[in-house]
Amino acid sequence: MSDAFAVNVEDVSKSFGAFKALNGVTLRVRQGEIYGLLGPNGAGKTTIIRLVCGLLEAHAGTVTVLGRRMPNVGVLRHIGYMTQQAALYPAISVEENVRFFAAINGAEEGVREALELVQLYDRRGSVVSTLSGGMRQRCSLACALVHRPELLLLDEPTVGIDPQLRVQFWDYFRRMAAQGTTLIVSSHVMDEADRCQRLGLIQYGRLLAEGSPADIRSQGGSQNLEEAFLALAGRKES
Amino acid sequence: MSGRRVRAITRRLLQGFRRDRRTVALLFVAPIVILGLLGYLMRGSTSAPAVGIANQDSGPLGALVADTLRHSTRISTSDISATDGDAKLRDGSLVAYILFPSNFSQQAQSGSVAPEVHLEGSQPGEDSPVIQALQQSMISLASQVAGRSIRFEPSVKYLYGGASYDTLDYFGAAFVGLIVFFLVFVITIVSFLNERSQGTLERLMASPLRRGEIVLGYMLGFTVLALVQAAEVLVFALAVLRIQNHGNVFLIFGMEALMAIAAVNLGIFLSMFARSEFQAVQFIPLVIVPQVLLSGIIFPVSTEPTALQYVSDVLPLTYAVNGMRDIMVKGADLSWSALQLDAAVVAGFCILLIAAGTTTLRRRLG
Ligand SMILES: Nc1ncnc2c1ncn2[C@@H]1O[C@H](COP(=O)(O)OP(=O)(O)OP(=O)(O)O)[C@@H](O)[C@H]1O
Ligand SMILES: [Mg+2]
Repeated sequence: MSDAFAVNVEDVSKSFGAFKALNGVTLRVRQGEIYGLLGPNGAGKTTIIRLVCGLLEAHAGTVTVLGRRMPNVGVLRHIGYMTQQAALYPAISVEENVRFFAAINGAEEGVREALELVQLYDRRGSVVSTLSGGMRQRCSLACALVHRPELLLLDEPTVGIDPQLRVQFWDYFRRMAAQGTTLIVSSHVMDEADRCQRLGLIQYGRLLAEGSPADIRSQGGSQNLEEAFLALAGRKES
Repeated sequence: MSGRRVRAITRRLLQGFRRDRRTVALLFVAPIVILGLLGYLMRGSTSAPAVGIANQDSGPLGALVADTLRHSTRISTSDISATDGDAKLRDGSLVAYILFPSNFSQQAQSGSVAPEVHLEGSQPGEDSPVIQALQQSMISLASQVAGRSIRFEPSVKYLYGGASYDTLDYFGAAFVGLIVFFLVFVITIVSFLNERSQGTLERLMASPLRRGEIVLGYMLGFTVLALVQAAEVLVFALAVLRIQNHGNVFLIFGMEALMAIAAVNLGIFLSMFARSEFQAVQFIPLVIVPQVLLSGIIFPVSTEPTALQYVSDVLPLTYAVNGMRDIMVKGADLSWSALQLDAAVVAGFCILLIAAGTTTLRRRLG
C-alpha cells in the first residue's frame, strides 16, 4: 500500500517539551502529485516538512518516504528541501551557493539550468548578501532543486516573489510533477492552494480536512476556497 | 537627546540578559574563577628551584660554601656527583647544578673563585635565584679568608638556550602555537554558529552529507587556513623577532597543524552548546584563559600547586606548548620520547574532539 505513496505520514505526533506541535496527523502524498499544506501560523506545517526529511523524529507514528522509514540517510539524496527562510551562505555568490548544494548532492551538471529557472543566471556572480529578498528566495529554490530530486519540499516558496515569477514557478512545479516529481508545498495563499492537486488543512497540529480543492470547497460549503477553509477551521474550533 | 529613548535601549539590553542566564552567570562567575586561579597559581607555587651541588674541592672551602647553599631559602639543594649533572638537567629533575672544582680552595686563597654553574636554561626566570644564592654564600667564604677580597667569577654554562636566550625566546616558542590555536578556535566556533543561525546547517542535515563529512570538511578548510597563518607567524617570529629556534621548522609546523586540528574540532564541539555568537564568544574566557594560565605558558607546570598540576595534565595545550618548547628551545626531534608523548597526546585529543564534534552535531535540531 505504502508503495503507491511517495510520502506516508501515519498518525504522527511531535512535541517540543510540553507543547504538542503535532497531534496524530495522517497524510499520504502520491507520486507526481502537488500536495499543498495549508494552515495558519504555528499550525505545524514546517514541523511536518522537517519530519518528512528526517530533521525531526516523531514521538509517535511513522513517516515513510519513497518506501523507506524516516529518518533515513539513504533517501535524502532524492529529497530537495527549501527552508522557510532562505538559508544561504551570504558571503559567497549565487552561483557558488547553488554549486555547493549541487556538489553535496553529487549533481553539478544542473547548476546552469537551476539558475536559469529562477532567472538568476545573469546575477550568478552577485554576492548573496547584496541580493533583494525575493532574489534570495529564488536562489534558495535553485539550491533545493538543483539535483532534480524525486521529492521536493517547499516551505512557503513563493513568499516575496513577484506575481509574474510566481506564475512561472507554478508552471515549473506542474511540469516537474508531470515528469513524476512529488511536491509538498506549504502556503497561506489560497490562489496557490487552488493550483495544488490535493490539500491538507492543518490547524493546532491536527489535520482538519484533506482532499482536492473541489473536495475542500464542498466540505466547507463554499465556492470560495478561503471561506471554505475558514468554515472548516471554525467548525472544529467550536 | 531623549531620556526615554536611551532608557529603551538600556531596558532592551537588560531584558535580553534576563533570559540568558548563562551570560549572567558567566559575567559574575568568570572573573572570580580567573582571578582565583591566578592568585592560587602565584601564591600557591612556592617551590624553590631544585639545584644540585657537586663538590670536588680537595680543600675545605667548597664544603663550606655548599653548606651555606643548603640553608638558602631561594633554592632547594641536593648533593650529586658531577657526572650525573647533565643527565639530571635533561630529565628535568634539576634546574641547575653548581660544581666546585678541585682547586676551589686554592682559587679562594689567590683571590678569585670560579665555581661552575650549569643551567638547564630553557626557563629564563629560573636562573637568577641560583646565581643569587651562590653570590650570597660567597659572603661566608670571605670571612674565612681574612683580609682579602675575593672576586666571584662563576663560569655559567647553559644546556639549552644560552646567555642570549631571553624571555621572548621562552614565550615565543609557546605563543607561536597558541596564537594559531586561539584564532582558529574563534573562527571555527563563530562560523559554525553562523551555519546554525542562518539555517544552512538544517539544509546540510537534510542533504545526503554525513556528519563526519561535515566535520572533516570544516577541519580541512580551517586547517589549510591555519597552516597558512602558522607559516606567516613562524616566519615573523624567526625572521623578524629572531626568536631562537634549535629545532626543525617542519616539526614546528607539524605541531601547529595538530593544534589547529584540535582547535577546529573544539570549536565545532563547543558550538553545539551555544545558541548565539554572543554565547560562543563566552567560551573564550572559559576555555582559553584557564588553558593559557595552566598549560605552562607563563607558569611552568612543575611550579604549580599540586591540585592544579592535575588539571594541567589533562589540558591539550599543556602538551602542545611543551612540545613546541622542546622543539624550538631544546632542538628536540621525533626520536625524543618527550616529544613523542606530547605529539601523541595532542593527536589523541584531536581524535577525541573529532568524535565528540561528530556525535553532538545532530543535537539541537530535534
Ligand atoms: N524547535 C522548536 N522548539 C519549540 N517549539 C517549536 C519548535 N519548532 C516549532 N515549534 C512550535 O511548534 C508549532 C508549530 O510550528 P511550525 O513551525 O511547524 O508552524 P508553521 O505551521 O510552519 O507556521 P508558519 O506558517 O508561521 O511558518 C509552533 O507553535 C512553534 O512555536
Ligand atoms: Mg513554517
